[in-house]
Amino acid sequence: MSHFLDKLRFFKSKQEPFAEGHGITTDQDRAWEDGYRRRWQHDKIVRSTHGVNCTGSCSWKIYVKDGLVTWETQQTDYPRTRPDLPNHEPRGCPRGASYSWYIYSANRLKYPKVRKSLLKLWRAAKQQHSDPVLAWASIVSDPEKAKAYKSKRGLGGMVRSDWNEVNEIIAASNIYTAKNYGPDRITGFSPIPAMSMVSYAAGARYLSLIGGNCLSFYDWYCDLPPASPQIWGEQTDVPESADWYNSGYIIAWGSNVPQTRTPDAHFFTEVRYKGTKTVSVTPDFSEVAKLTDEWLPAKQGTDAALAMAMGHVILKKFHLENPSEYFQEYVKQKTDFPYLVCLDESEHGLQQGRFLRASDLADNLGQENNPEWKTIALDHKGELVSPTGSIGYRWGEKGKWNIQQKDGSSGDDVDLSLSLKEQHDDLVDVVFPYFGGQKHDYDYFQHTDHTELQARKVPAKRIQLANGKSILVATVFDLTLANYGVDNGYQCENCASSFDEDKPYTPAWQEKITGLPKEQVIKIATEFADNAHKTHGRSMIIIGAAMNHWYNMDMNYRGVINMLMMCGCIGQSGGGWAHYVGQEKLRPQTGWLPLAFGLDWQRPPRQMNGTSFFYNHADQWRYEKLRMEEVVSPLANKEKWSGSIIDYNTRAERMGWLPSAPQLGMNPLDLVKQANEAGVDPKDYAVQQLKSGDLKFACEDPDNPQNFPRNLFIWRSNLLGSSGKGHEYMLRHLLGTKNGLQGKDLGESDEAKPEDVVWNDEAPEGKIDLVVTLDFRMSSTCMYSDIVLPTATWYEKDDMNTSDMHPFIHPLSKAIDPVWESRSDWEIFKGIAKRFSELTENHLGVEKDLVTVPLLHDSPGELAQPDGVKAWWKGECDLIPGKTAPNMVVVERDYPNTYKRFTSLGPLLEKLGNGGKGISWNTEEEVKFLGDLNYRHTEEGIHQGRPKIESAIDAAEVILSLAPETNGHVAVKAWEALGEFTGLDHTHLAKPKEDEKIRFRDIQAQPRKIISSPTWSGLEDEHVSYNAGYTNVHEQIPWRTVTGRQQFYQDHEWMRDFGETQCLYKPPVNLKTIEPIKGKKPNGHKEIVLNWITPHQKWGIHSTYSDNLLMLTLSRGGPIIWISEGDAKEAGIEDNDWIEAFNVNGAISARAVVSQRVPSGMSMMYHAQERIVNIPGAETTQTRGGMHNSVTRAIMKPTHMIGGYAQQAYGFNYYGTVGCNRDEFVVVRKMNKIDWLDEEQTQVEVQK
Amino acid sequence: MRILQLLSLLMDYPKTSLVEHLDDIKEIIEYSDLPLGQQLALLEFVERRGCMDLIDWQAEYDGLFERGRSLGLWLFEHVHGESRDRGQAMVELIAKYKEANLQLDRHELPDYIPLFLEFLSTQGRDNAKLWLCEVAHILALLQCRLERRGSNYSVLFDALLEFSAADIDIDEIRQQVASEKRDDSKKAIDKEWEEEEVSFGADSIDKACEQANRKPSQSQRKDLDVPLNWVGFNDYHDAAEEGAKQ
Repeated sequence: MSHFLDKLRFFKSKQEPFAEGHGITTDQDRAWEDGYRRRWQHDKIVRSTHGVNCTGSCSWKIYVKDGLVTWETQQTDYPRTRPDLPNHEPRGCPRGASYSWYIYSANRLKYPKVRKSLLKLWRAAKQQHSDPVLAWASIVSDPEKAKAYKSKRGLGGMVRSDWNEVNEIIAASNIYTAKNYGPDRITGFSPIPAMSMVSYAAGARYLSLIGGNCLSFYDWYCDLPPASPQIWGEQTDVPESADWYNSGYIIAWGSNVPQTRTPDAHFFTEVRYKGTKTVSVTPDFSEVAKLTDEWLPAKQGTDAALAMAMGHVILKKFHLENPSEYFQEYVKQKTDFPYLVCLDESEHGLQQGRFLRASDLADNLGQENNPEWKTIALDHKGELVSPTGSIGYRWGEKGKWNIQQKDGSSGDDVDLSLSLKEQHDDLVDVVFPYFGGQKHDYDYFQHTDHTELQARKVPAKRIQLANGKSILVATVFDLTLANYGVDNGYQCENCASSFDEDKPYTPAWQEKITGLPKEQVIKIATEFADNAHKTHGRSMIIIGAAMNHWYNMDMNYRGVINMLMMCGCIGQSGGGWAHYVGQEKLRPQTGWLPLAFGLDWQRPPRQMNGTSFFYNHADQWRYEKLRMEEVVSPLANKEKWSGSIIDYNTRAERMGWLPSAPQLGMNPLDLVKQANEAGVDPKDYAVQQLKSGDLKFACEDPDNPQNFPRNLFIWRSNLLGSSGKGHEYMLRHLLGTKNGLQGKDLGESDEAKPEDVVWNDEAPEGKIDLVVTLDFRMSSTCMYSDIVLPTATWYEKDDMNTSDMHPFIHPLSKAIDPVWESRSDWEIFKGIAKRFSELTENHLGVEKDLVTVPLLHDSPGELAQPDGVKAWWKGECDLIPGKTAPNMVVVERDYPNTYKRFTSLGPLLEKLGNGGKGISWNTEEEVKFLGDLNYRHTEEGIHQGRPKIESAIDAAEVILSLAPETNGHVAVKAWEALGEFTGLDHTHLAKPKEDEKIRFRDIQAQPRKIISSPTWSGLEDEHVSYNAGYTNVHEQIPWRTVTGRQQFYQDHEWMRDFGETQCLYKPPVNLKTIEPIKGKKPNGHKEIVLNWITPHQKWGIHSTYSDNLLMLTLSRGGPIIWISEGDAKEAGIEDNDWIEAFNVNGAISARAVVSQRVPSGMSMMYHAQERIVNIPGAETTQTRGGMHNSVTRAIMKPTHMIGGYAQQAYGFNYYGTVGCNRDEFVVVRKMNKIDWLDEEQTQVEVQK
Repeated sequence: MRILQLLSLLMDYPKTSLVEHLDDIKEIIEYSDLPLGQQLALLEFVERRGCMDLIDWQAEYDGLFERGRSLGLWLFEHVHGESRDRGQAMVELIAKYKEANLQLDRHELPDYIPLFLEFLSTQGRDNAKLWLCEVAHILALLQCRLERRGSNYSVLFDALLEFSAADIDIDEIRQQVASEKRDDSKKAIDKEWEEEEVSFGADSIDKACEQANRKPSQSQRKDLDVPLNWVGFNDYHDAAEEGAKQ
């Protein structure tokens, strides 16, 4: 009998050990695992992100259990990229991962709160007056009562209120202000709409409907690089981070990628595996310096010198000695290099003038439409031509606004001459200004001994003008060579023929200024250009705001951008200028604009540039010590520049260059009433009154109570805790409370006063009657506010978020209901609008409001002032609104229906269409769709039949449906609209996605990639990553500049006066904030003077997270200032000592971090460490030490005020004055006595 | 048990409705079985508060309990702080309420002490005492901190502790709080801020293998902050303490 059936075929008999006896399988009960499993169970996961201006837009999974957020983890499902390109995931950083803490934190704002002293007054007033508006009037019109609560700002004493009460106070205050002073005395500040665009829109919609101002932020934060509008006519457009991977050579210039772009930094690392070289330029041994292959520690503030020297090398090696065919073709077609510039005679010799225009030539060179805006070049046959694409072709005619190489008159192909070297009539000396010889006050920045006027040889051609005069002209290319000091074989005395010559701007010359060896500069410049030459433009510069925060930021930026343009990198995949500062790219912008600014009901909205507003109303101008004569070109007429900075701003406002807030010196509602009574058209009436001098602009008398900005809303922002340059000035003048200001104003120090602005010896304090802040945490700004409204966090509201770092649109989702009494921003402003409408009875009805509008970029107004700067009030020209002065438009405000307007989509979209950046399209279909989707209002009233915008999701759908980026059908219409201007067909860019329509629930399911649209200059498709300028280069769409090309050259009169026709090196300016205070309040310790630098931090995003204990634990737990070992030794400071940093602006107390990271002469305090965490008193001010902006003050530059001049025309967040702060110096010393200033506070508490 | 509801009411944000019922409140206190000392203290609290302008009372309340974490009225703020475990702990507390057939009816977190007290008032005296004993050290901590701030709100916690009959050495906690790094005492904060030197080796080579060198110092330890379960965190605390002693 065989045993073959005894053997089991399917089983083995028992557990056997495995792995050579190391393993054994057991079968104990595993119920214990359940406990662990339950721990990680949840009811739902919701997708959201952090609306925190970090540009991350990372996707997060929010876990919810029993209506509570229990934790968050990174989501990893961003749509994949294409083959051979790394994915965007994983994203996220430790800051975001710690966010859920805020929701239940003790720091969370839970209830609407009001300052006790104000609430007491309010409740008493309500006993007296049943009408809340009258109650408000009784408080603010009584100086004693007003002072009673204003002086308590920032000093605690908040009490809970409820939504009814706060809405009533706010509405009453707004109505009182609009009625008595004008709606333009109500202002709101909220930054970076892209980080939560519906929330931004909520406040902006309310303010715009009632006629209030929205303040810009990008310029105020000094993140706006004015060089970008100057060169490209574009606010800012940059490659997405994935495009770094397409690059062959990357310089990270002042951008600390791994620290401040954490979720994107992986592309920077990955591209190195392909062999791409990475270089960093930072003054300190930063994180990025450690990451890159080579580090160039150029001294801070001298970047322009380095960029000029690199440009010098590139021009000489790649444009003259061994010309790159690719570079030469690129600069000829895509930049203004071939365009002709007039050489003006002056007492100093020939100097660079303005572009030659068709209007200068006989018969306007055949151009009837806008000949003064058509620039001229010489074609290779030696004939003057007006190539298509200059800005004159944009308006008033169709089909010729493109940058094909064609003659605008004949339509023939043209081949322009770059240089006149072979066809000049004369080789002339042109005088260039040189600023590098200016001595710095503290000898920290080095100067050279070259003279301030440098004559250099330029080939010129003599031409005959229409007026009979004959003048010399030269090409921008030849002028640029001379400007960079590159000798083109003319044996020019002030140009260099060798890199070793110490002449501006050679590599040898820069050594003294930047501290870098010339060999390294030559090597990097050569490698950079060589890579671009071989790859046709795949060299990239990632740039950080650090370089933009200097007074002469434009030189830093233009220096770098010039390098990119010389090497044909702009608009090429893997190349270009990557300025990632502020999450400014609101991708569905044209869908959002009508919602945010109420353009569906009334146009235009009131928009104001933030920097000028705060400089003006915080009375920073009263302390202005920087004279314009000190900073203008040696070639400029100094008498013209004798005024103070504020004078130039008021002139800019009156000429229509910059906006105003408040606008005119009287209530604009009353102005229209007066005009009607006089039977005159309100616009004509205003013109008459202005001309006669009976009416002034408000900016001419900012300290007059009639012109105070009475009400201020702050939302999604920590204005006073992180972005308020001139912090202490704001405390004193705007808020009227305790401050640490140490300087004297021009009256006290008996110096020259402004010329155009009324001076009062007594400075007003507490200009604002009501400060309302919305936040989810008790930020520094909340501490200074009268009313604090608790908002929903980013896990408690529906909203949308986009970034410039990647092309997706991402939702914020309501994972849980807002806890405690908090509400979403949308619901809050909706509630205020409702109460406002109810309370208007007896005060405001349907009113007519005269709105002044500056000459706007991307509108025909940008062609207003071709022929010089003319002041109508001096009789230099007539006052023509929209031409020589701001435009004036009467807007009807239906105050009692504000709420109905707020919650419905208005009829102007069908009537006027929708659009942006100069183009518009019919959008009836989308409005109808929104009515079907969101439903329509059925009750009687002005909103009957209109699509509903009740919820934040309704609002999101409005944005998504109207925007070309999220509605393929609209994208096709937008490209068609642009095609009418260019005469070219661009619809192929959107046709494949025509039927794609992205809705809010779609992006909640997975973030979606946007559709290419003419709002942006890059493309989103399967073959190229998003890169700025791509459609200009590849679709022949002009840049929105005078020439239609990228401009090396700037020809406005004020640009010439500042010597900034071309890029050059300008050293940091002397701000005079040290001398009056150094050594005046000694504490026995040595005082040293250091440059003040405020970079972005590692343990927070601006001020957010900086009060989070998890992050504080990783850092030092409170405010810190980094200083070098040498400086510390000199001042007797050891690591972790308490030190004080101060100047006339104010004082800061913090701990010292003594580190080899920092070069000597520099002190560094991370941007936005909260004022609410661990700050003792400063010895100099005897008040609590301030934050990083306590020692700064905004200093404005007139070149940023230019308007009505093509690319230099105003646009909200597009152009305007910027709040720079890095030329600042501080006195640093060890502190003697650490006074937490608690006794006094406690005593006060006890007495109560 | 009405005394728990009463203390809950007094501990919550003072509102007009509270001021209107001060006489009833006094009566409840007098009829409670608290010892005379606590009764008198509570009566004095009510008396003094009653004389105040409500708005001043509110401002003081806001300044005490809604600014900063040291006096936060949320139990888990003191147990878990910023840790993610707080969410789970709250979930478990809600489950306890559900077991008792109670559902939250206000926008408030489950660990808010006045809310917690209201829950306890429905749980019978013995249960309530047991629960209170578990959180007694937090209540005692708040009491001592309030005493140090010179606020008579401390009497509410004193009464609670008395009610719970918890075995707490209040003097010891007072001492602890006195030496505690108060958020607003200069020197202590200064100290708290200091970055401790982290060393990975021992002071001398021959001590390098001693176990003590491998362990974080008391203040570096983070394990004390993050017990996983809310129930019985005392045990965790003890266990952790023990671990530290080893």
